[in-house]
Amino acid sequence: MDSVLKAVIVFFVLWAIIRISGRRTLGEMTAFDFVLFLIIGGSTQRAITGQDYSLTNALILVATFVALDIALSVIELKYPFMRRVLNATPTILVDNGHLLVHRMRRARVTEENILEAARRLQGLERMDQIKFAILEASGDISIVPAARQGTAEAVPVRPS
Amino acid sequence: MDEFASRQYPVQEHMHFQRRMWLVERVGWAALTAIALLALTGLFGTGWLSKATADGKDLSIRYERFQRATKLAEFSFRFAAGEGERSLHLNTAFQQNYEIASIQPQPSRSQAGEDGLTLTFATSPAGGMVSLWAHPRSYGISEIEARSGSAPPLAFSIIVYP
Repeated sequence: MDSVLKAVIVFFVLWAIIRISGRRTLGEMTAFDFVLFLIIGGSTQRAITGQDYSLTNALILVATFVALDIALSVIELKYPFMRRVLNATPTILVDNGHLLVHRMRRARVTEENILEAARRLQGLERMDQIKFAILEASGDISIVPAARQGTAEAVPVRPS
Repeated sequence: MDEFASRQYPVQEHMHFQRRMWLVERVGWAALTAIALLALTGLFGTGWLSKATADGKDLSIRYERFQRATKLAEFSFRFAAGEGERSLHLNTAFQQNYEIASIQPQPSRSQAGEDGLTLTFATSPAGGMVSLWAHPRSYGISEIEARSGSAPPLAFSIIVYP
């Protein structure tokens, strides 16, 4: 009984902390973020298991964690609002080369972050080559390039 | 166009929700910082807010007001000057809620009674100090009573965090 309660508390507390730490830490994980996650795991692990190293306890904990995870994914699937609560929503940061600075500040994304994503994903060099930059729910920045002459994707699709 | 208005293209935004989430994020950061700062003061154990004493004529006790389940906690008992052996009586709440890890010096006798535990120490006439380390078994509030000999007991409560 104790193990299940501990697992539920730790699951939701960790979930809340990761959620409020913002999307930037989820998607673009640095080497240090990785170390941080290991430390978080190590710190909570003993509090969850306590002095009970039995196989039964391990099974109870694993079952509880996986069940909670599945429960959340089912809730997400059923209720679009909960999907937003649990997973964040996409936010447009660049609209036709124009930076939406207030949004960027709130989301803690810099111009450099966007240009980096543009270089990495699309090989773009300048802000005016970006049509849309979107901070996705996953925390990644995706880039829609502006129409370019002579490239296949740049041909505008016109309804005939 | 208002920068915080929801756009539909290329993705459906929920800016009203998103702005609320940003606010919740900031409140959360403040809460995390507050937890760390409060922990530094000793609100969650080991720190100046947690240090406490209980003083009587024959016995004075130093203890941690805030403790954590299973974390070793120190109690130190100082006996006033006097002749002969000293006894330290701890009530049943202590017996039930703590697992004693070590007592320094070792008591010459220890006796379980109906109303708790009695430890007897050989001390010098100038008085002496006994340190007791114990693990709280579970969370909650422990109402501890301790006395030396037949003196009126010193009562204090300890909050044990889970």
